[in-house]
Amino acid sequence: MAQLVYSSSPHVKSPRTTRRIMIDVCIALLPACIAGCVLLGLANPTNGWLSLMLIAISCLSAVASEFVFLLCCKKSFKTILHEFDFTSLVTGLLIGMNLYPTSKWYAALLASVFAVVVVKMLFGGTGKNIVNPAIAGRIFAFIAFGAAFGGVMHFNQGDSATTVVSPITNGAVTAGSTPLQTLFNGGSNTLTNVDLLLGTGVAGCIGEICKIALIAGGIYLVIRGVLNFRWPLVYIAATGVTAVIIALIGGSSFVDALEIFLPSILSGGLILGAIFMATDYVTTPNTKLGNYIYFVLLGVLTAVLRKAVKGEAVSFAILLMNLLVPLFDRYIRRKPFGYVKPVKEKKSKQKEGE
Amino acid sequence: MKTFKGGFHVPDNKALTAELGVELMPLVPDYFVSLSQHIGKPATPVVNVGDQVVEGQLIAQASSFVSANIHSPVCGEVVELVKRKNAQGATVDYLHIKSNGKQDKFTLPKLADPTAEEIVKRVAEAGIVGLGGAGFPTAVKLQPQDPVDTLIINAAECEPYLNCDNRLMIERAAEFVEGVRLIAKAINVSNVYIGIEANKMQAYDALVALDGVIGDSKKELEGRKEGDIVVVLLKKKYPQGAEKTLIKACVNREVPVGGLPSAVGCIVDNVGTAYAVYDAVVNGRSLYKRWMTVSGQGVNSPKNLEVSVGTPLSAIIEFCGGLKDDTVKLVSGGPMMGFSLADLDVVTTKTDSGLLALTDKEACTVLPTPCINCGRCAEVCPMRLMPMYIDFYTTVGDTANAVRYGAANCFECGTCAYVCPAKRPIVQSVRLTKMRMKEKK
Repeated sequence: MAQLVYSSSPHVKSPRTTRRIMIDVCIALLPACIAGCVLLGLANPTNGWLSLMLIAISCLSAVASEFVFLLCCKKSFKTILHEFDFTSLVTGLLIGMNLYPTSKWYAALLASVFAVVVVKMLFGGTGKNIVNPAIAGRIFAFIAFGAAFGGVMHFNQGDSATTVVSPITNGAVTAGSTPLQTLFNGGSNTLTNVDLLLGTGVAGCIGEICKIALIAGGIYLVIRGVLNFRWPLVYIAATGVTAVIIALIGGSSFVDALEIFLPSILSGGLILGAIFMATDYVTTPNTKLGNYIYFVLLGVLTAVLRKAVKGEAVSFAILLMNLLVPLFDRYIRRKPFGYVKPVKEKKSKQKEGE
Repeated sequence: MKTFKGGFHVPDNKALTAELGVELMPLVPDYFVSLSQHIGKPATPVVNVGDQVVEGQLIAQASSFVSANIHSPVCGEVVELVKRKNAQGATVDYLHIKSNGKQDKFTLPKLADPTAEEIVKRVAEAGIVGLGGAGFPTAVKLQPQDPVDTLIINAAECEPYLNCDNRLMIERAAEFVEGVRLIAKAINVSNVYIGIEANKMQAYDALVALDGVIGDSKKELEGRKEGDIVVVLLKKKYPQGAEKTLIKACVNREVPVGGLPSAVGCIVDNVGTAYAVYDAVVNGRSLYKRWMTVSGQGVNSPKNLEVSVGTPLSAIIEFCGGLKDDTVKLVSGGPMMGFSLADLDVVTTKTDSGLLALTDKEACTVLPTPCINCGRCAEVCPMRLMPMYIDFYTTVGDTANAVRYGAANCFECGTCAYVCPAKRPIVQSVRLTKMRMKEKK
């Protein structure tokens, strides 16, 4: 007989582990990665290969920095390998997907190292980070590198269009100007909603171009039981509705305002952020009620920020809301089964204290 | 189909023994009968070392109101009073009885048409305790302090692997229902429900085939006559058979925090208990035998057995063909709330509903990793607690906050720890906090 294990109940456990969840997330991100590289590559083959390279760099550097950090903490390589839970791979993958094909390789590398080492490991590793590492990494790269992040530069140099693309706007360069900029600055938008959905003709971050691939990944996660379908939907819907309301307040007619709904949902990094980054377990509230409020507020904040900065603001909105999560967890608590009036509860607690 | 909020569909693995009829565990040479097989004070021995006893004879008496009589499972000689470890790991007193192979039996006089008082008295005499696992003396339960209008029989048997209640309802349906009626008579209620999980259709069919027992469909409920027992079909979900969730599912009442079922006018008893009541009243047999399931991939031939209390588990495993080499865990009781055993040098008690030998594949002995705050534990908690915080605060030694998040309300069903992807030992944390609370007092 093998060595007997002696432990507290329950003695059976679900086969789902953290590692399996993270591998599922990686699988769910792959279609959008591939679609992004292919679509960018179709417009300009160099960009396609550059995208692939950037994703590879960010993944490798994210994983490597976790290993190096833990080795510095005097953990044996074998233990690290044994405990590796793929969270840093998800972070690396997301950072790669949040870069532009024109981003410099060192932006990818440093953003990943920052995300994993500073945002995650220094706070205590998996599950202890206060903000989403990938979001923080993206914003770090944007602020620290500016141009090297891929922001202020001519996007499709071979083409006639030489629009300046700001990094936080979704640069729909191929067609002239970004859908979001068009929405906020006026002008003709030549991209249809179908283009936005499929990612044809859209430029932008590698991973956020092809919405349909992202949605497919999201559906995979819902089927696998990793993702609760409610939260991305609430977030996306709240963003769209707020955008419409803002347009109405701005004096648009009702019909015009409604027309902004789909483009504001389908442009920029909203879908990527809503499915894969805002819903990060670690940085969302723990209660159902808390989550509803959190994601509605997130949507409102996204739409308002977008209007205010006249560009993409998903990552900033998520970063800001991440910081509020402890408040949600502190003040929104569930009422236990058989909950009686608080007066009675206090009395019984005092008795316990005595 | 009725159910409660929260919980999780845990694979039930009942197929291993669901179709197996009960077998009688053969006599073994040595029995070790524990003096505390129930909640409350240990019983006081009324026999001396060297005494000859017969099967069914009283060998230890209830020592207070919350305690229970204990009877000899076999004819033989009381050899010694020893201290041994029980399944929970605590050291308690045992009477060692050496069997002499005789078949004599001592039975109490049969009661033909007992009154409520007579039933309660007989239940106390026969040493009946809750056979679902907790072992609360049934006679105490049958004299509730609050007014009671409903009796619910817990036939959910939501623990995976276990089939003893299921088999009992299939093979002894009429006797079991008779036992239910006796309990109802003892507490003077006419509103009786049997809550059964939907994976026990054979037992359900056996029950509703009886006179005065009906299903819970709308049509049947409309035609309900005074005294009819209603079998409520419950969704297959763990922990459907916990007292509070069962009451919620059957009659939609919520037992208040820290309260007993009688606070909402309910009494809950287990299937085995009802059968034991029948046996004690109608046949005059005290409680020293019970049905248990021996199962798991680690057992060579899984069985449903009728075993006497005090039978060494090693003998039971031997009778079931021994253990396979890849067994990594031995469990007394069900896999969700049972106790893991360090070895087989333990004996059965009145509350043992199962003995499981689990292989590595079933037991999942992966070590815990950091909590990723996914919230699954809170989602499935039938008590609507926030187990992630209980675990966190217990780990850092903050008992006050662990209690604030409901550690004391937890009944340790283990659903949270089952679904946890990080494999956090949440139930262990809850137990630790409860222990620390006790120490403080």
